[in-house]
Amino acid sequence: MAIVECVDLTRTYGSGDTMVTALDHVNLQVPDGQFVAIMGPSGCGKSTLLNLVGGLDLPTAGKVLINGVDLTTLDDSKLTELRRRKMGFVFQFFNLIPVLDAVENAALPLTLDGVKPDEARRRASEWLVRFGLQDRLKSRPDQLSGGQQQRVAVARALVAEPALVLADEPTGNLDSRASEEIATLLHSISHDYGRAIVMVTHDPRIAAYADRIVFLKDGAVVDDTKISEGHGVDEARGAMEKAGLL
Amino acid sequence: MSVRHAILGLLAEHPRHGYELHRAFGSLFGEADPGVKPAQVYTTLARLEEAGLAAHASTEQGAGPEKRIYDITDEGRAELNRWFSEGVSDARSRDEFFVKLMTAVNGGQADPRRVLQTQRTTLYRDLHSITAHRNRLDPKRQLATILLLDKAAMHLEADLRWLEMIEARLDDVRRQPPPPAEPARRGRPPKRAQLDPSEEARDGARETSEGSGATAAPRQKDGTWR
Repeated sequence: MAIVECVDLTRTYGSGDTMVTALDHVNLQVPDGQFVAIMGPSGCGKSTLLNLVGGLDLPTAGKVLINGVDLTTLDDSKLTELRRRKMGFVFQFFNLIPVLDAVENAALPLTLDGVKPDEARRRASEWLVRFGLQDRLKSRPDQLSGGQQQRVAVARALVAEPALVLADEPTGNLDSRASEEIATLLHSISHDYGRAIVMVTHDPRIAAYADRIVFLKDGAVVDDTKISEGHGVDEARGAMEKAGLL
Repeated sequence: MSVRHAILGLLAEHPRHGYELHRAFGSLFGEADPGVKPAQVYTTLARLEEAGLAAHASTEQGAGPEKRIYDITDEGRAELNRWFSEGVSDARSRDEFFVKLMTAVNGGQADPRRVLQTQRTTLYRDLHSITAHRNRLDPKRQLATILLLDKAAMHLEADLRWLEMIEARLDDVRRQPPPPAEPARRGRPPKRAQLDPSEEARDGARETSEGSGATAAPRQKDGTWR
């Protein structure tokens, strides 16, 4: 089943002569557990698409279905609840709360959802430990490297066990090594934990971790391609041979 | 680099004789011009004809030696379409993609955007395979292989960024006519005074037409540029 379904999704800003069409009748389905990268030149509508899928913005026309529920039919409180339980968000600038430590930051969606503090802390710690942060549980964001802060943010995105993670340039503020770590983490979340991921990126090496790449231009899908067909050792050997390395 | 397919692409535009084909190479492919010798054009034409992909339609009889005018066959068009629909993932023949793209831009038998997207998918699949393989290796024992894979990944990344750049400027390339083919000169370059006056006149005309600029010169039937 498709966790995300966009039907003729359209978003315009302004009106009359100054009207800008940010997204123009986009149709897109993301099956459960798939890792999708959204790419395209700046201003192509990538972030608009992600905001609409995440219920952070409303479409001018068309609709977004999450697990079959049309976001445009929900009132604010229902939408907030669905966002907190079904979706996790990862941003370019981490968006951690400076006065909270790693566990408190990662536990936030649960705390806000009324889960008991002990339970919330326990579940948050589990994800942080899985992400190799067992020694940094009590650290505040300013005591962590960029890569560590983003791992805390990914833990926060997963703590409520959502089926969908939305990531907007998750490696945009990281060096190449930390970027690869976060991309590896996202890949594992999709492949080992079965979560669907929709990630906006402009970095080809990060996009290559995904199973599928959707290219946008001027608000429309211009190419939609699966890149993960067979990634066994043989394919890698083939690719290396072709690159003149073997 | 596939000289066969580049020739098929030129023939698909309109029938030409060997000499014309040879001249068209340099103007269409610019720096990616594979430096094909006239003899290679004629042997390739003979092989294309043998394979049923091209045929010489007529023979032009002038004062000089006879000229065979070659045309593409239906089988040739099918072969050309197959070539357009394939990505090029061998780094050692990377220019083949460029020749393919320019053939599509100039000839119009394939959508250049589609050719570019096919290439992008091919490179992303290679990058995905290499990335997946790299991440299965143990950095404590297999660092040398990891570094080698990083090299391959970085080359693919550079190629993908290059494709992005081409994509952004594809419409400009399509509007821009390639420079007229320069006839190949042998020996010492002639002194300015010895230049054929008709050629000088043509150079002057070209400058003014380029100077006026904004509108692209339409291509004439015989493959030269107005």
